[in-house]
Amino acid sequence: MTSTNAAEASALEQPDAAEQALWYKDAVIYQVHVKAFFDSNNDGMGDFRGLTSKLDYIEELGVSAIWLLPFYPSPLKDDGYDVSDYHNVHPQYGTVADFKLFVREAHRRGLKVITELVVNHTSDQHPWFQAARRAPPGSSKRGYYVWSDTDQKYKGTRIIFTDTETSNWTWDPVAKQYYWHRFFSHQPDLNFDNPNVLKAVFRTMRFWLDMGVDGFRLDAVPYLIEREGTSNENVPETHAVLRKIRELIDRSYPHKLLLAEANMWPEDVRPYFGEGDQCHMAFHFPLMPRMYMAIAQEDRHPLVEILAQTPDIPEVCQWAIFLRNHDELTLEMVTSRERDYMYRMYAADLQARINLGIRRRLAPLMENDPERIKLMNSLLLSMPGSPIVYYGDEIGMGDNIYLGDRNGVRTPMQWSLDRNAGFSRADPQRLYLPPIMDPVYGYQAVNVEAQERDPASLLNWMKRMLRVRKESRAFGRGRLVFLKPGNRKILAYLRELGDEAILCVANLSRSAQPVELDLKRYRGRVPVEALGRTSFPPIGDLPYLLTLPAYGFYWFRLAADAPPPSWHAEMIVPEESPVLVLFDGWVSFFRDQVVPWRMGMAEALYRSLESQVLPRYVESQRWYAAKGERLEATPVKDHAVWEVSERLSWLLTILDVRGVDYFVPLALAWEEDEEHVRQLAQSTVARVRQQANVGVIGDAIADEGFCRNVVKAIGESRAIAMRRGTLRFTPTRVFRELAGEDFAALSVGSLLAQSTNTSVTLGERLFLKCYRRLRPGMNPELEVGRYLTEVARFANCVPVAGAVEYATGEGEPATLALLQAYVPNQGDGWSFTLDYLQRQLETARAGPGDSYGAYVLLVQTLAARTAELHRAFALRSGDPAFDPEPLGAADVEGWKARVREEANETLAMVRSEELQARRGQLFALIDACAAPRGAALRIRHHGDYHLGQVLVANNDFIIIDFEGEPSRPLAESRRKHSPLRDVAGMLRSFSYAKWSATRSGALDAWERETRRAFVDAYAAAAAGSGLFESFEDVAGLLRLFELEKALYELRYEINNRPEWLQVPLAGILAMLEEEAP
Amino acid sequence: MTTVELTLEPLRVFLRQMGDFLPRLAAALLIVLIGWFLARAARYAVVRLLRAVNFHVVTERSGVDAFLRDGGLRIDTAEILGLTVYWLVLLGALVVGFNSLGLAYVTDLLVQVVLFVPRVILAVLILAFGAYFARFVGQALAAWCRSLHVQDAELLGRLAQYAILTFVVLIALDQMGIGGDIVRQSFLVVLAGLVLALALAFGLAGKDWAADLLERWWPRKRP
Repeated sequence: MTSTNAAEASALEQPDAAEQALWYKDAVIYQVHVKAFFDSNNDGMGDFRGLTSKLDYIEELGVSAIWLLPFYPSPLKDDGYDVSDYHNVHPQYGTVADFKLFVREAHRRGLKVITELVVNHTSDQHPWFQAARRAPPGSSKRGYYVWSDTDQKYKGTRIIFTDTETSNWTWDPVAKQYYWHRFFSHQPDLNFDNPNVLKAVFRTMRFWLDMGVDGFRLDAVPYLIEREGTSNENVPETHAVLRKIRELIDRSYPHKLLLAEANMWPEDVRPYFGEGDQCHMAFHFPLMPRMYMAIAQEDRHPLVEILAQTPDIPEVCQWAIFLRNHDELTLEMVTSRERDYMYRMYAADLQARINLGIRRRLAPLMENDPERIKLMNSLLLSMPGSPIVYYGDEIGMGDNIYLGDRNGVRTPMQWSLDRNAGFSRADPQRLYLPPIMDPVYGYQAVNVEAQERDPASLLNWMKRMLRVRKESRAFGRGRLVFLKPGNRKILAYLRELGDEAILCVANLSRSAQPVELDLKRYRGRVPVEALGRTSFPPIGDLPYLLTLPAYGFYWFRLAADAPPPSWHAEMIVPEESPVLVLFDGWVSFFRDQVVPWRMGMAEALYRSLESQVLPRYVESQRWYAAKGERLEATPVKDHAVWEVSERLSWLLTILDVRGVDYFVPLALAWEEDEEHVRQLAQSTVARVRQQANVGVIGDAIADEGFCRNVVKAIGESRAIAMRRGTLRFTPTRVFRELAGEDFAALSVGSLLAQSTNTSVTLGERLFLKCYRRLRPGMNPELEVGRYLTEVARFANCVPVAGAVEYATGEGEPATLALLQAYVPNQGDGWSFTLDYLQRQLETARAGPGDSYGAYVLLVQTLAARTAELHRAFALRSGDPAFDPEPLGAADVEGWKARVREEANETLAMVRSEELQARRGQLFALIDACAAPRGAALRIRHHGDYHLGQVLVANNDFIIIDFEGEPSRPLAESRRKHSPLRDVAGMLRSFSYAKWSATRSGALDAWERETRRAFVDAYAAAAAGSGLFESFEDVAGLLRLFELEKALYELRYEINNRPEWLQVPLAGILAMLEEEAP
Repeated sequence: MTTVELTLEPLRVFLRQMGDFLPRLAAALLIVLIGWFLARAARYAVVRLLRAVNFHVVTERSGVDAFLRDGGLRIDTAEILGLTVYWLVLLGALVVGFNSLGLAYVTDLLVQVVLFVPRVILAVLILAFGAYFARFVGQALAAWCRSLHVQDAELLGRLAQYAILTFVVLIALDQMGIGGDIVRQSFLVVLAGLVLALALAFGLAGKDWAADLLERWWPRKRP
């Protein structure tokens, strides 16, 4: 995101002042050392100008605040934590003006700036100390520090830097007294009992806050005040000092932050928040080693334990959490046994140990295993608190444990593989520290430049993670709830904020792990994986099963608004479906079939079935044409209870949905038959109860018994009398052959929902397709299927085994269901083509030449099959419905007239100036389409031929769906026409495939090549069939039909998918272009 | 008075009597005719009404219709009730008709019959609803026993159903005043026999168990 976009975005959100004040609760802080980031003046040391020039990088990373390590004048004996002047910038880092510029630039990018307030101690070079040691004892100047005549005072105080210091007192020969220091002997502690010291600190704070600094990290805050007889840590007077500091902030500098560094146990840190009247934030020190421990032990216990011990903090406060920082990985906050374990696991090399910790960076600690590094980062970003990312860890930088003190983790940022890692143009020997140069972590291997270009790099992964984290406030503010799955290697927790919930699951072990999570509270929600936005199956009653790869993790948004994956079959009855109370099975619905005292109930039940239950069900179905409208009622026009045995009966209904008839058979399953209930769960219409029995009513197509009995009834040519009409089951001659003898034992597959019908497979043998909408008239699919199977013996279609028809005595019967043979296939040609094109685009191998060879070969097969189909239709069988007829000039004129009419209609609808401008040309094109001079035939044809109507099977094609266009009446698709209409349809389909795969012109060559191959192969295969004399002779017709199809598509897209308008429009314009002289 | 007059006198009397009687006959015939029409209308109305309130469902479910069908009748209970009402109305009309003709004996006889018809109707209703109730209880009992996994659940249900049905038939017969005492007594005999049989069965089969129980409650001797 560019800075202007960020500014716009923040302007759009308009967070109110209260929200703004809590910015630190959602912050991700980037910890950076000025000297280590970028050197602008080539003196070997990073500076503010350099840092300012790299702000774009920090902004792009996706963090929201920068925490700067001390940059004040200092002898640099403790990396700047020994300040010798509080009101200036170290000359090597630049000037105060440089700092001001940096703050302004950071704010322009929406980044907050946090600096260090190191006031527990100063450098012994600080003028205050120099004055104090020379001032007489008891004077005001001497009183700035803590002095004693003996080093036996405050005996109970521990020594922090055990490796270098032996006492907290050091003799000053000038002052002739011991001075107090908790850290190095060159860092005398300031005396906060002296009010002048606090005043001086306030002056310092005002100085930086006035310059725009957004917050302070309070260094070594537990040690401010000393009291005899205590450990001199966390004494109550220290908190009084903090309250005074906070008062200053609240009074004069709202929205500014105080971040306490108190390396203590959480219960000891808790007082530093006060009641929201001390620090806004404090580091959670013990959490950090426990993240490492959890991974080392492959057990979630250390983490769960420490977070259980973490006390609640005031609403306005926040923890600061981190994986690594500029100090050693401190092991003060673990037991000595745990420390030994950590040392063994992470610092087998003694050189890596320092004080009570390990001086290594994240990547070396994780042995540079990208999965573990990512897992640790995912924990950091999802644990309660605002995460801090240490500079360099976002690219997996290494360390150098052979440098003194903790300098090994403070080496120059690795920008590129240029000299000095791109950090500085200075001579390498001038650098403040040498960059990492080993073969694994060296800047040649690990640098920003390389990782920015590698989409799979750690840096880009971090950017994605930070972007995802920003999407939900639950990460920063949510409540933490641990789930306790049986598998202890899995850490699973929820972050909940209001209605929002994020589920984080992490596998702490080095092998793949399964886990079953109890998510009952979120029943019905759909987990959406946060990084890929993939919907997972919705949460049900059963434990939620997940499998995680080694060191894998998931973040899920438990979405109440996301749809479940399209392939998901509901196995559990949705709780929200209505409940019907039955008293006598199906009979309960019918007033005239119940005992007198139940008549009222039956009427009420029937009413609720018609006006509530079925409308809600029909509305939600894909096969219901008019979507998005609320149905008031769906009167049952005709019905019958089909009973094959006492336990097997179905209610077959014909519903009147806004004047259109729909076939909805219903099945009833009782709870004791769990398998049956499960089958119906994917198409639940209602839940039912009859006395102590509960069950469901579902769509019978999902009912195994129903499907089998339909097949059986077809085999037996049965008829069922309904209240008004009759349901007739009829087999074709090949029924026995296709169904076999044992069809009653075939297993029924799960429901496939299409736009106009619902279908199931029976074993690998039969395919039962239930048309929902009743279209009176001979169903072409049945008719054509019969003809092609029984008369023409065309192999590449799906044979028909039988049909179910509904007749009322008035008008023609309508086909309700069709039983076909099941053809094993690899999906339809459309998805096959799209997959192919996606692969082509991704691999981008497609150059000119025959790079589409494999696909072209398939298209040639498709063309040959198409021609064979047309040859089959051109047979003379004596059946007037199928016999070919000669194609005359009058036919062509009729078609042209119709296309002209449609063109007029389309032009009236479309608002394309380009097309309107070429109106004349369009009509000229229609007129120019010449009728064939030689003999040609009009035959039955497919009618709605496109890639979605062919199945790919073993590098061959099966042609399906002879229904014609669903929106046109059946009689129209039975009319005889030129076979070139099918060819035109397929050519348009190629164009759609291209546009669906990409809107760029990358696949133009593919479309050209595919078209040519299809047309040529079709012409070759149809030659000599009598369909036409030569392909050139009918080229005009083909163009006319292609135009007709494109116009139809244009009208369709205007009405249904305006964003697709471009596809047919481009097609028409291309055709006009081609014709233009 | 002339001879002619004398000879004509009886004729005149006869004619006068005929003159008196014929209008009454005509009126009676008219009444009967209207009654016939009314009866047909009543039968139609009753059958329609019974069908409208799903009386046929009750008789079908209770098994009465099936019983009738088994007996070779081609009509169901609703139609039987219709027919009864038809006859009730028609007989009513005949009573009025005969009464207007002054045929007291015939009228009395018919009144007896007319008074019997409502009892028949009531008996049919009792039979229909009673049989439905019997079947309902039988099925409920069987279902309950099945849910408790009692063996012979069906048998127990059937027993209950037929026991109730017996009562129902008795009540219906009682309602019609047929059989009266003999039915009642024979029922008592059957019931007594049944109870005795049960007492014997349980007594003989369970005497050891009963003895144990008694022994436990009231031990003969304390050790």
